[in-house]
Order: sequence, then C-alpha cells, then structure tokens
Amino acid sequence: MKVLICDSGILINLSLNGLLDILEKLKKDWNGKILITEQVKYETIDRPLNILRFKLGALRIESLLTKEIIELPSSLNISNEEIKRKTKELLEIANHSYKAKEGWVNIVSEGEVSCIAIGSILKEKGHEVIIATDERTIRLLFEDPKTLEKIMSKHLHQQVQFVAPYTNYSQKFNFIRTSEIVYVAYKKGLLGIENKQALDAALYATKFKGAAITFEEIEALKKI
Amino acid sequence: MEEKKHVGEVIQNAIKALQNFNSQNLKELSNQTIHSASLKQDSGSITLAVLIYTLSKIIERNDHLKVKNWNKLSKKIVQWLELSKDALEKNNLEKYEEHLKEARKTLSQISPNLKEYIKEVLRKAEINKASRIYEHGISMEKTAQLLGITQWELADYLGTKRIEEGYSTFDIKKRARIALEFFS
Repeated sequence: MKVLICDSGILINLSLNGLLDILEKLKKDWNGKILITEQVKYETIDRPLNILRFKLGALRIESLLTKEIIELPSSLNISNEEIKRKTKELLEIANHSYKAKEGWVNIVSEGEVSCIAIGSILKEKGHEVIIATDERTIRLLFEDPKTLEKIMSKHLHQQVQFVAPYTNYSQKFNFIRTSEIVYVAYKKGLLGIENKQALDAALYATKFKGAAITFEEIEALKKI
Repeated sequence: MEEKKHVGEVIQNAIKALQNFNSQNLKELSNQTIHSASLKQDSGSITLAVLIYTLSKIIERNDHLKVKNWNKLSKKIVQWLELSKDALEKNNLEKYEEHLKEARKTLSQISPNLKEYIKEVLRKAEINKASRIYEHGISMEKTAQLLGITQWELADYLGTKRIEEGYSTFDIKKRARIALEFFS
C-alpha cells in the first residue's frame, strides 16, 4: 500500500495557507493512506487547540482526522510502543551524527524522527512510503548530510563533523514538501483556482509558511 | 572553558551596553549567544539571548523612556546579570540560569501599562532567536522546543525571513515526478 507520512510542518503549512482541502481531494481517487504520528497530532491538533491564534487551524486538521483523510498508525496495526521504540533508536543516532568541539549537536526532535520511524517500520512491512516534510534539517540528514555539516560549520564558526552513523541508518526515503503536494494538486486540477497564476501563487505561499524550498526550485517546478 | 569565558564577556558587555543605551551593541551581543545556544541548547544561553535581544528592542524603540522607573529597573537587571556572571565563573550553572531567569522576570514585571507590551516583545524575541537557531542547522521542532514556542509561530515567522535555503539536495524534477507517480 502507498503511505504518505506527514510531519507537523506540512499540516501547519497547508492550514496556514487554507489549503488543507487538497489532502481531501487527493485522497478521494487515490488508493493510499495519509498517516500522522501521535507526536505530530499533538503538535498540530492537541497543543494548538489551547492557543486561540491557532485553534481554528487545529480544528480543521482535527476534522481531517475525524473524516479519516489523515489517520493514525493504528489504522495499519502499528502500535505506539513500536513507533516509540524505533523513534528512540533513530533519535539517538540522528543526534549523534554531528560533532562540534563541545560535543554532539542535538539537531532533531521526537516528532520529526517519529515520521522516519513509522516510515522505516512500514517499509520493512513492504509498503511504499513517502515522507512529507518541510523540514530542511531532517531532509539534509538523509539526502545530503555533508551539506548540513557545511551549514553548521559556517554558522557555528567552527568545524562541525558529520560522523557516519554507527548502525544501518542509510535506509533510503523519498521526501516531498508541501510545495510538491501543491504541485501534484495543481497537475491533477485539484487546486480549485482557475487562474494561470494559481501554481505560482500556491508554491510561493508554501515557501512563505515554512517549506524549505529555494526560489530557483519554485521557478523550475513551474516550468515542468 | 573557552565558551564560559565568552559568555561571561557577553554578559559584561551587555551590562555596559544597557547602561549606555546602546541597542546596536545589545543586538550584536544577543547574536553572539546564539552559537552557544545552538550548541549547548541550555536554558541559560537561550534566556540570555532572548533577554539581551528584548532589551535591545526596548532601547531601540525608545520604549524605556515610557517606563517611569526605568533606571531602577535597569539597575535591578544589571544586578541579576552580574550575579549570573559570578555564578558562571564559579561554575554554578544552576544559579547562573536562576539569576538570568530573575533578570527576565524583572523585565516582565515592568509597570502595569507596559506589561502586555513587554510580554509581546519577549515573545517576538523568542521567535526571532528561534529563527536564528534554525539557521544554524537545528530542526524546526527542536528549535521550537528550545524556545518554548509552537511550530505554528515559527513556520509563520520563518516564511517572512530570508533564511538560507539554497540547498537543492535532490533534483526538483525528479522529486516532482516521484510525487506525481505516487499519487497516480
């Protein structure tokens, strides 16, 4: 089965841009599941429900969960304990990947890594997985860890060293961002805006709400 | 050891800048603490960065002139900063963090008519510092956690900033194709 795993940033981005309905439309004629972990649910629903500024956004995301547009891992019989165990293991590795003069640099947190953990579990079970994340750090960690080393060294004004992980952590994942989700929606005619500039506007909107995408990438996407 | 010395110097210079109403210096000193905050991720470095940045904003906007007892308040903040520096030199990190928190508390207990405003400046300072830590390569969630803010606030703010994202790690056409095929 195809499974799209969404991290918090994706749902927050779509919500802040009023584009959450894209997920509903994409899901309609697609034989796959959109999953979020408990940690992502906390950050996108439970916590903002108590913050007036973000309450509406949280309610909209909660509604997607109620309608089973997005689902929890239990829908694929994966227990929270299993995810927690895997998350802990991966978190330990990820936060022991970059070494500065003062010691290891903690670069990622539980929520982000829980998406990788569930991805890893599902891949082992034979599912086709894509991880949707707007996060620059987690993507670089998997796709180009040396570039993350350069960024950290540059900003911390010291040589930070990427230390090759000590376990089999090189599992390959495909990553997409909110920008690519919007792109797919546009290509499928699901964006709901009949205007030539709709793609341009939607792609930039995703960038301005936290998607780590370059201006050049957006221009390239528009030309495909 | 070196880092501790550096933080001590930052506190000393921040005291001077505060006494001289030098907002630019305060801002620069706040940025200097970000390296330490990104690396050590201790609450002391983070409180210090937010506190100094908030003070820089208050002085930059001449808001201190609106505070009747600013001199008294400023002296109190200086006292807490000096105590935190002493604690740091004595390697008493618990006291160091405690004194910095007291300095922040002093600031937030400003006159009632400015209380809400200062709270907002402190909040914005937290988000600003979070964006700087994110720039250093720390993930969004981790950064939000360190500063005690939500990812919603951070995502909203990051979009308005020109954070260096110029790292195309993967061919965009290939990524788009993968996404399209996945949803076919």
